[in-house]
Amino acid sequence: MSAATAEVLSTTAPPRRRRSSLRAEKMWGWLLSLPALVHTLVWIGGPVVVAIMLSFTDYDVVNPPEFSGIANYAELAGDSVFWSALAHNLIMVVVVVPISIFIALVLAVALNQGLRAQSWFRTMIFMPHVTATVAIAMIWLWIYAPGPNGLANRILGVVGISPSNWLTSTSLALPAVMVVGIWQSIGLKMLIYLAALQGVSPQLYEAADVDGANTIQKFWNITVPMLRPATFFVLATSVIANFQTFDLIYVLTNGGPANATTVITYQIYVAAFQQYRMGYATAMSVVLLLVLVIVTYISRRLVGSTDGD
Amino acid sequence: MATENLEFPVPVDLSTDTVREVRPSPVRSPSLKRQRLISRAVLWVLLAAVSVAMVTPFAWMVFTAVRSPEELGQVNPPFIPRTWHFENFLRALEAAPFHIYARNSFIIGASNVVTTMVFGASAGYALAKLRFRAAPWIFAWLLATMMIPFYAIVIPDFLLARFMPLFGGNDIFGQGGQGWIDSWWALLVPGMVSAFSIFLLRQFYVVTPTELIEAARLDGLSEPRIWVQIITPQIKPGLLTVALLAFEGGWNNFLWPLLVTTSEDLRVIQVGLSVFRQESNTQWDLLMAGTTLSAVPMIVLFVIFQRYFVNGFVNSGIK
Repeated sequence: MSAATAEVLSTTAPPRRRRSSLRAEKMWGWLLSLPALVHTLVWIGGPVVVAIMLSFTDYDVVNPPEFSGIANYAELAGDSVFWSALAHNLIMVVVVVPISIFIALVLAVALNQGLRAQSWFRTMIFMPHVTATVAIAMIWLWIYAPGPNGLANRILGVVGISPSNWLTSTSLALPAVMVVGIWQSIGLKMLIYLAALQGVSPQLYEAADVDGANTIQKFWNITVPMLRPATFFVLATSVIANFQTFDLIYVLTNGGPANATTVITYQIYVAAFQQYRMGYATAMSVVLLLVLVIVTYISRRLVGSTDGD
Repeated sequence: MATENLEFPVPVDLSTDTVREVRPSPVRSPSLKRQRLISRAVLWVLLAAVSVAMVTPFAWMVFTAVRSPEELGQVNPPFIPRTWHFENFLRALEAAPFHIYARNSFIIGASNVVTTMVFGASAGYALAKLRFRAAPWIFAWLLATMMIPFYAIVIPDFLLARFMPLFGGNDIFGQGGQGWIDSWWALLVPGMVSAFSIFLLRQFYVVTPTELIEAARLDGLSEPRIWVQIITPQIKPGLLTVALLAFEGGWNNFLWPLLVTTSEDLRVIQVGLSVFRQESNTQWDLLMAGTTLSAVPMIVLFVIFQRYFVNGFVNSGIK
């Protein structure tokens, strides 16, 4: 951000500009950015303020909101379903993010070796990212189908594992959802790593070759450290994305069984659009907002410290 | 070793030659050649295995969509169906109007593209190239809004649509009717432009030559003409990238259309799919046919315009 600001400020005015043309530039600057500015103020900025205000009220859409102080937050603190939703988000972050980052990194390095078929591999690995999450979830719903007809059970049956009810078992549902999360999120991370790898000097590897380093040593001692900024970026965006998992849960499990897979976004949806408790739901939104602002802040600090800006 | 190498300002093509001469090239020794072959094989196996894992669910979707009812009833049907029943797609269309759903999603995607091209590009250009005092502030504001998760503001956004004054039977205070709920307004207006698309477009505009703008000004061209006719043609690949992302956002959107539409005429494909699943009692062949209809357009677009998609996704982070 700071770099961008500096860039805007540092473009010096050319000599001998007429004042009227400078004024025209100013006016058009405003006019051209105004629609976008108004749009974001109306649909994002204003709603943030409204959400914070509503979180201190009781509101069911039909009757006007009634101020209720911190009652919503107090209830939230004692709401075990909310806490387990938060816990599921955290478990997903802790499990899905590192695993998918590691796989994506290995794949990116493998795709960077100049294999002739690499663009095919890249296309296939990235396909889940361009597909709507609802469609992805629908496919996996069918893969996880109970009994011997589900593809998951069929494949595991080959190695002698007996069929499970993946999405209706309280112990298996969350891991099953996380497998889909990993499967779907590898592609984007891989692409970001691939782009970052373009910036790693091949001379580093040549030097390591001369020193007799093997592939694994080169991976850990050159590739991983050189990709640190990319890793921080991927880490931050995927933590944020994980906290916003919704479509997957909505289609695969509806948060069940017995809230075993519910997440904050799903609880917001249930409270607001099934129970019409808008105040309570916005209190959850505010908590989500705070969590993500903190994550973003921390990640910017971390990225800043490695970028040196 | 590496830094030593970098300190000498050797021309690039020359330096590779020098390296070959000074160091024994690893490829020349036979044992290293074999090692190289093995590592290639390992790479192939790894990438092929992951690719299979990525593609299998999609293949399973298509295979299920064209499976015969008899095969679907079998306990262990062959992975690839013996006969391909493309009429399953027609059966799916009879069971639920997927063509209407797809049309609606297409309209939303196309509308997103048009409005983003106008309002996103105008803001991106203004923030990249026009000097006015508020520019850094507006840009900082847009970056800040990118941090706001949609789920944090979905309720106020919904209420805004619901109580939109003077629409859908609402009075000036937004009471009495249903506002923008179940209307094209609610489906199209909130997605008109996104901070992210402005951010991307600004990145593309920043690297265009400012001299062109100055020259056009000296020629007496007006500011909007300079934007549309002089500078925007310079960033055509960038425009395509943002257009593709805008279309994808419209086509793949789920929660917002789910909340603001109730009638079947306005249902989008992702919502239609989800509703069909609940109503159809999991007829997997038809459900997978519908899923194929919802997934394939984006996959085709991606395969055709892969370069531009990648450009956009990668630009989302690394400058």
